[in-house]
Amino acid sequence: MMRIACVLALIALTILIVVAVHLDGATATLFSFIGIPALTAALALYVIQRWRVGAFRRAPRPSTT
Amino acid sequence: MSPAPSGPLFVSPPVAPVVDWVRVLPIVAALPAAVILVWGLVRGRLPPPMGVAGLVLTLTAYGLGMLMVMEESKDVRFCGSCHVMTPIVESLNATDGSSLAAVHYSRGLVSTKEACFTCHSGYGIWGTLGAKRAGVMHMVRTLTGGYDLPLELTGTFDITSCLGCHAGAASFRAVEAHQGPDVQQALLSHSMACTGACHLTAHPAEALTGGKGAS
Repeated sequence: MMRIACVLALIALTILIVVAVHLDGATATLFSFIGIPALTAALALYVIQRWRVGAFRRAPRPSTT
Repeated sequence: MSPAPSGPLFVSPPVAPVVDWVRVLPIVAALPAAVILVWGLVRGRLPPPMGVAGLVLTLTAYGLGMLMVMEESKDVRFCGSCHVMTPIVESLNATDGSSLAAVHYSRGLVSTKEACFTCHSGYGIWGTLGAKRAGVMHMVRTLTGGYDLPLELTGTFDITSCLGCHAGAASFRAVEAHQGPDVQQALLSHSMACTGACHLTAHPAEALTGGKGAS
């Protein structure tokens, strides 16, 4: 899952760099309809992966007794 | 058509090369993010601090990239880069006064860099956002081929864009037709447009059908 998230984020970043180097209607369309969805999917996969390993679970409080 | 003047008045003064930070900053943020992501791709996992760094850098790069696209897409060349818009942008250079847009553009009455955006966006932040939303819909229609020729404006043109510059101008106020209360009321209520009845059409008809505009 982490590898898929990395690939999607790398696709999004590649498109971003292409847009920064040469912005026109075609690259802006790529940015809007492939780059942003790819980044959103990568972010979702990363959050799910972190959630599955328990990153968002509250650590148990130490016993006071 | 006579050649463009090339005397000293028409030559931009030499300027020192400047860094286009709007375009550079997204790349500066994207490159270290890409290194971290490649590492994650190879290793199959990222230590939490590295994961957070990769996440923050990637989101920063995209945030800066979105600002760049928002700003740079106001450029006339950007609008003309889609095939269906190219004839309209070419028609702006006509000097024969054949369309209202060409009159404004060729005489420098609007910014020649952001002419499309100047007239097709409302005022304030909501005007800008509305123009960007319309631009995204243009991209959707271009992708899906979901537009008909000749191109037509969706809805009515918001003449607030016209009045924003003209309403306070003495030459505009001096015109007898503009002084009539009925005309003023009709203009302000958007039930009457500037083009059509009184003024030239906004863009030449042949440009709206995908043909070449007058030159």
